Parts: sequence; structure tokens; C-alpha cells
Amino acid sequence: MVVQLESEIINYLREILGDDLIKVYRQRERRIFAIIKPAVLRRTIEALKSKYSDMRFMTLSAVDNGLDMEYLYHFNINGIVLTIRVLRPKEEPILESIADIIPAANFIEREISDLFGVKLVNHPELDPSGLILTKDWPEDQRPLRRPFEGVLPLKARPVAEALIASGCVAPISTFVQKKREESGLQKSPPFPFTNEKILGEYHGIIKASGIGDRVGFDWEKRRLRYK
Amino acid sequence: MVKYAFFLGCQIPMRLPNIEVATRKVFEKLNVEAVDLLGYSCCPEPVVSRLVDEETALVISARNLTLAEEMGLDMITLCNGCYETLAEANEVLKHDAEKRSKVNEILRKYDREYEGKIDVKHVIEVLYEDIGLKKIKSLVVKPQKMRVALHYGCHLYREYKSADIMRKPRMMREMVEQTGVQVVDYGLERMCCGYPSMQASEEFSLKERLARKLSKVVSAGADAVVTACPACMIQFELGQVMLRAHGVQFNVPCINLMELLALSFGVPSKELLLEFHRSPVLQLIRRLEG
Repeated sequence: MVVQLESEIINYLREILGDDLIKVYRQRERRIFAIIKPAVLRRTIEALKSKYSDMRFMTLSAVDNGLDMEYLYHFNINGIVLTIRVLRPKEEPILESIADIIPAANFIEREISDLFGVKLVNHPELDPSGLILTKDWPEDQRPLRRPFEGVLPLKARPVAEALIASGCVAPISTFVQKKREESGLQKSPPFPFTNEKILGEYHGIIKASGIGDRVGFDWEKRRLRYK
Repeated sequence: MVKYAFFLGCQIPMRLPNIEVATRKVFEKLNVEAVDLLGYSCCPEPVVSRLVDEETALVISARNLTLAEEMGLDMITLCNGCYETLAEANEVLKHDAEKRSKVNEILRKYDREYEGKIDVKHVIEVLYEDIGLKKIKSLVVKPQKMRVALHYGCHLYREYKSADIMRKPRMMREMVEQTGVQVVDYGLERMCCGYPSMQASEEFSLKERLARKLSKVVSAGADAVVTACPACMIQFELGQVMLRAHGVQFNVPCINLMELLALSFGVPSKELLLEFHRSPVLQLIRRLEG
């Protein structure tokens, strides 16, 4: 019976979310985790609520992992705990409210907003701040917020950034290029950044290794997301 | 003629082209053909990369190794750091099937596969083993009459072919002795120059490593320091400039092994981009040239 319900929940999430479901897995008996794209959070919860009328909202927890905020929505469906995980980049520190769908989320959302300094969006309260902290609490001194940074130590950041972005850890100046040419060397050695096709291959390999995500590299801007 | 895939690294072509120029001149004299690796990347650098993410570091190294495999050539490196990174990655990937499989899973997406078909050699090994001291000595037309202290660099002690970590440092010393210099011992040859410690503490790196070495070098009466590693050279040269801000004054020239060989082979100093040095190498060479 339990196994059947677990499979049903997993299949239902796959059916309604398609590519918006990043990963779903059964961690152990009666424990399911689903990682979804933030844009479909409300739609997912509405669909689950409509399918499982006795679904109970347990709580919402939040983790500041340095680069991103992770929100974990825990539900109980007939004895099975389903956690919906959503990752939001800290460049946009927001928490999208679900309190209009799940009224029990009202206070925990406000608590998280206060303690982590994330902005509550579409919350039923006109001014939801000030539940745990005072309303005039300084924005930059939230008790549970970590600095915006990844795993790289300060001095390692320029090296890692250059390595990922260009495949070379030392910049070349026009002076060096000129001197190289004058002495009969190629203007620049044949690094990946001198050829778009080769750079594409290099970036593809680096992306596939996963280091970009681990250190917080912005592929569009070709730099670290933090300084 | 011996032929190798030429791994230049980052620091030499970008910041120290004087070492690249000298090397190409020396290779020409010694009949070493060094074929450029099109699209090579940083090895990756050994201090940060491996600590942050070993798997990615291995993938980057493996990609570089496949470029040489495509040519069917063993790889030659000029930099101690590149040597350690690439030689170690080569060893790991040759013997650890699980890691090789993970790396190849990524490389295959780009029609690459690491096969473990080549060796990685430091330039010191190539010159010593493939060319030989006799040939090197025969080309010395301008013995360099100076007293030098040797700084081998920590990564040169990394050994993959025998248990003797002094194998390559000994080769370097013997090679330097062919150029007409007098090697002086100063007792702290094995100590790190402090380059990697700059990541953690500039003051420790400069005062507890570089300044200690330089004091001994000066006491031993050396005219210059000879090193085989570009990172150590940056530390010895830029470090002396930075030490001034800490109230510590040194003015010791630091020269690369390949530059010393080029000079002793009679390559005119004005062709060697010696103006790139941040220590008084130009002054020393002019003094020697009279």
C-alpha cells in the first residue's frame, strides 16, 4: 500500500511537471524528495493539494548555502513525507509566498523572511516583516544569513575564475604581446581563448565536470557570481 | 633530433616570455623539436585547482594530455608546477581505472579519450637524458663566470620513475655546472621559496620563506639564484620588490636555467628579453660581458 502510494506520488509529479522536475527520488520508506524549478512551485502545490485532499503541510525550512537559498516544503500525504525542494539564487533574495494556497505557511514564511533577510512576495499580510525581529532590524545583519560566497577562499578566486573563463590563469598584456612578436614568438600562445571553437569545447568539458556550479560561476557573464 | 609536444603553461608565455625565448634558442642549438599544442589550457595550476576540485583538475589535465596523444608525442614541460600536475594526473589516470572512466565519460562528449599512451617529462629530464651533458658542454662557448645558488623548486622533487627524489635536482645541478658557473651551497636549497604560501599569508611567505633563503644566498656569496621554475622566479623577483614594503632589502638577480644555458651557448643577451626581469639580471649580465 505504502509503496504503491509512493510510486503514485512520484509518477504524478513526473506527469504534471515534465522538464520542470529536476529530480525526484525516494530516500527511504515513506520519504520522497522532489527538486523542482522555482517557477512551478505554486502550480505544483496547487496540483498536489487538489489531488490529495488530505495532504497536510508540515513546515517550511530554509538553508542559506552561500550562493543560493534552498527552500524545503515538507508535506505529509497519508503517512508519506514529501519534500519539495526549490533553489533560488541569492542575487534575487526572494521567497514566493504560498500562504494563500496553504494558510499554515503564513507564519513560517514570515519567520524565514525575517531571519534570512529574504523578501516575501505575494504574502497575504500587507507588511509581513517584524514577526521574529523588530521592524527596524538592519537589512545587512540578519541572524541566519551567510555571506554571499561559494567554496573558494578569497585568494583562490581570481585563479579559479580565470581558469574556468579562459583556460589560462595569467592574463596577457599588450606589452607582452608586442614583445613576443618582436622576438619572433607568436603574439599569443594557442590557448583556448584564442579560438572560439576550442573555447567552446573547453567550456563544455568544464561544465560537464560540474565545477562551475560548485564554485558559483556565471557562464553568461563568464565570471564568478561573487567577488 | 628528439621531438616533443611542447606544454608551455600559463606564466611563461604570458608573464615571462624571456624563458620561452631562451628555451626555443636552446632547443634549436640542441636539435630538440618542440611542437606547440594547439588549444592547450592551464595544466591546471597545482595549488588552487586540486584543492578545490580534484575531479575537474584531472579532467583538465586529461584534456591536455589527449592533445599530445593525438600527436603521438611525449610531453615536455618547462614549469615545475605544470610538470607535477600533468605527470601526476598521467600516473593517476594510467593506474586508476575508476577515475579514468569518469574522466573519459566527460571527454567522450567532445570526441576525446585519454588512453595513457604518453609520458610527461620535465625539460631537465629531456636535456639530461635525451641530449646528455657531453653535448651540452660541447655547445658552451661563453662560460658564465659567476657564483650561483640553486633553487630547484619543490615540485621538481616529485618523482614518478624512482624513489630517488633528488634525481632531477641532481640533473639540474650537473647541467648548471656545465655552463661555467660555480655552484655555491647555502644550506636551504630544499626550502620552499614561499610562492604557494602567498595564497595564505603574504607576510609569512615573504619573511619566513623568501627572506630566509635570500639571507643565506647572500651569506654564501652567490652572484645570482638559478631556478627552473617560473613561479619560483616570480617569487624571487617580485618578492624582493614586495619585501621592501616590509623594510627588508635584497638585490639578488634570479635567472632561469634555460636563460643560463642560452647565454653560455653564446646567444646574445639582447635577444633574450632580459628586460622582463624584476631583479638586476641585466646589470649582472652586462657586468659579466664587460
